[in-house]
Amino acid sequence: MSTEQQIKKDIAESLDVLPMLADKFVVDFANGIHVTNDHIRVQKQRTGFMSRLADGFTGAGASRQTEINANLSNGVESSLKWLGELSESLAQSNYAIVCVNNRLNTLKHDVAKIANYSADTRQLLDALSVQVAERCGRLEDEVARIGLMQNAQINMDVVFSKWDAGKYHHLSLANRCYVALEELHWGAFGDFCRSNTEGKDQHHLIGIAKNKAISQLNKDAMTNSAMRLSAKDWLATPSSPSAATLVEALSYLGDAANDVKQPFIYSATQQPTQLPLRMPRLCSAERMSNAMLNEIFGDQAHA
Amino acid sequence: MPEYGKVGLVLSGGGAKGAYQVGVLNALVELNIPVHIISGASIGALNGAVLASAPNLTEGTSRLKEIWHELANDSPLKHQAPSYLKLLSAAGLRESPLIAVAQSVVSVAQHYGLPVPEKLHQAMHSGVMDDGPLKALLDKYIDHKALSDGIPFYVSVFRSAGGLLDIAIVLAAELRLLESRDSEFIHIQAKSVQERKELLLASAAIPVVFAPRQVNGTIYSDGGQGGWTKAQGNTPISPLVDAGCDIVIVTHLSDGSLWSRHDFPDTTIVEIRPQSSIARGDGVLGGVKDLLGFDESKITSWIEQGYQDTKHCIGQILQAGTARKHLKESEQALVGSEKGNAHADEALNDALSRLS
Repeated sequence: MSTEQQIKKDIAESLDVLPMLADKFVVDFANGIHVTNDHIRVQKQRTGFMSRLADGFTGAGASRQTEINANLSNGVESSLKWLGELSESLAQSNYAIVCVNNRLNTLKHDVAKIANYSADTRQLLDALSVQVAERCGRLEDEVARIGLMQNAQINMDVVFSKWDAGKYHHLSLANRCYVALEELHWGAFGDFCRSNTEGKDQHHLIGIAKNKAISQLNKDAMTNSAMRLSAKDWLATPSSPSAATLVEALSYLGDAANDVKQPFIYSATQQPTQLPLRMPRLCSAERMSNAMLNEIFGDQAHA
Repeated sequence: MPEYGKVGLVLSGGGAKGAYQVGVLNALVELNIPVHIISGASIGALNGAVLASAPNLTEGTSRLKEIWHELANDSPLKHQAPSYLKLLSAAGLRESPLIAVAQSVVSVAQHYGLPVPEKLHQAMHSGVMDDGPLKALLDKYIDHKALSDGIPFYVSVFRSAGGLLDIAIVLAAELRLLESRDSEFIHIQAKSVQERKELLLASAAIPVVFAPRQVNGTIYSDGGQGGWTKAQGNTPISPLVDAGCDIVIVTHLSDGSLWSRHDFPDTTIVEIRPQSSIARGDGVLGGVKDLLGFDESKITSWIEQGYQDTKHCIGQILQAGTARKHLKESEQALVGSEKGNAHADEALNDALSRLS
C-alpha cells in the first residue's frame, strides 16, 4: 500500500475520532496513561544523585509523583467506573442470555409440541392413507365391476338385438337360444359372470338375460308363457341352403355337451335321433331358456 | 457550534522543539480533527500565528512544514555576541544562578535608588541575539489580513521586569521559593497589525536571548515564564477554556511537563506528550542547545516524533473509545432486538393456539 493510500485509509478510519475525543471519560482514562508514561519515563531518568537532590530541593519530584498519583487515581477511578459499566453490561448480557435461554426452552417445548403434533398428524395421515388406499381399491374394484357390468349389459343388448333383428332365424328355436346364450357366455357377459364379484349383480343380469331369452323365444315361436311346444318344434331347423353347414357347425360347437348333464344343449346341437331321457318332450319357452342358462352358466345361473 | 463541540489547540513554548508541533499538526490533519481556536506561547505563538492566518488546518500545516524546513537551513537566531558569551548567557537561562544573582543585585539596587552601571542595566533589557531574521520570517509567512479573518488566536506574553530579573524570578520559581506572576493571554485579532507583530515577537522573546518587546508602554517577553511552577504561561489553555472549548488538545515540548490537566476538571483535555525523550542535546548545556537548535537533523526528528506521539496518543483514545462505543452499541442493539420479542412470541402463540 502506497503512502498516499495509507493516508487516505487513515483519514477514512479517523472519521470517528472526533466523537471519541468528545467523550471526556474515555479521554481522561486513555490520555491519562499517555501522560503518566511521560512522567514515569522522566522519573526513571532522574535517579542520579544530583537529579534526586535537585528534584527534592525544587519539589519537582514530589510534584511529578503527585501528578502520577493523580493520574493513577483517576485511572483507577475510571477503571472502576468502566468496570461498573462493564459489569452492568455483562449483567444485562447475562440477563439477556437467561431470557434467550428461557425463550429457547419455551421454543423447544413449542417445537416438541409441534413435533408431537406432526408425529400424530403423520400417524393420522398414515391411517388415512391406508383408509384412502382401501377405499380407492374398493372404488377401483367397483369401477371395474361397473365397467364389467356395463360391458355385460352392452354384450347382452347386442346379442339380443341381433336375435331380435332375425340374425338367428335360420337356426332352430332351441339353437337360437343356445347361440345367443353361448355368445353371452364367451363375451363380456360371461366375463362378468365369472368375475370375482358379488353374485347379486350376476344373478340380476342372468335373470334379465333369462327374461329376454324367454321373451324372444315366445316371440319367435309365437307363443306365450303358458304355452308349451313339443321338443320337435323347438329343435326343428328351418330349411335353408346353409342349413347343413350350420347344423354341422353347431354340432361341433356343442360336442362337449352331455346328454345327461346338458340334455337341452345336446338335443339342440347334436340333433340325436333319440332324444335324451332328461329332455322334456313338451316344454315352454321359459323351460327352454331356464334349462339352457343352467346348462351354459352352471351354478352362476342359480346364484 | 460544531457537532462535537469546539476544539481548541494549545501550542506550548520550547524553542526549536516547536518543530514537534508540526508533526502533531500533521497527524491531526490526517486524523481529520478540526481546530476552531488556537493559543500559543513562545515558539507555539509563532506556529499558531501561521496556522491562524491559513485558510484551513491542512494549508496551515503545509506552510509550517515549509517554514520549519527553511528554519533548518537558515536559523532565525543571528548571533549578536561571540559564541562564548552566547553560551554563557544561555547557560544563565536555566542552569547558572550567577546571572540571576547579579540581576537580583541590580533589582535591589534599583529598588533602593542605588546607582547601577549602564552596561549592566542595558543587559537587563536586551538580548544577545538579533531578532531581525525572526521578524523577517514573521513578515514573510504571516498574512495579517488573513490572520484578522482567521480562527481566534491567543498569545501568551509575560510582563517583563527586565531580562535578567525575569530569569531570576523564574529561577526562584524553579526552586519553589516564589511563583512567577501569571502570563497574560491576548486575543491577537483584537490588536492592530503593529501590536500583533510586537506581541508575537514578545511571546517568543526568550529572556536574554531576545530583547523584550514594548506594547502600549508595557514591556513583554516570553510568555512561557508566567506561572512557572504550573507552566501556566507556557501552556496557555485558560483562554481556550474561557472561550468555551469542549475539547482542548495540548502539546508539550518538554519531557515530563508538570502542567496538570487536573486543574481544568470541566474540560476534555488531550495532552500530546513526548513518549521518548524530546531532548537531543546532552551535557549541562544540552537543554539550551535544544532550545536554540535549529538544525536540520533535530527538526526532522522532532517533526517525526510529534507525528508518532500524536498517532500513539489518539490511537490509545481511539482504542478505548471504540471498545466503549461498541459496548454501548451492542447494548442498544440488544435492547432493540428485545423489542421484537413480544411480536415474535405473539406470532408463535397464535400459531400454536391453532394446533390445539
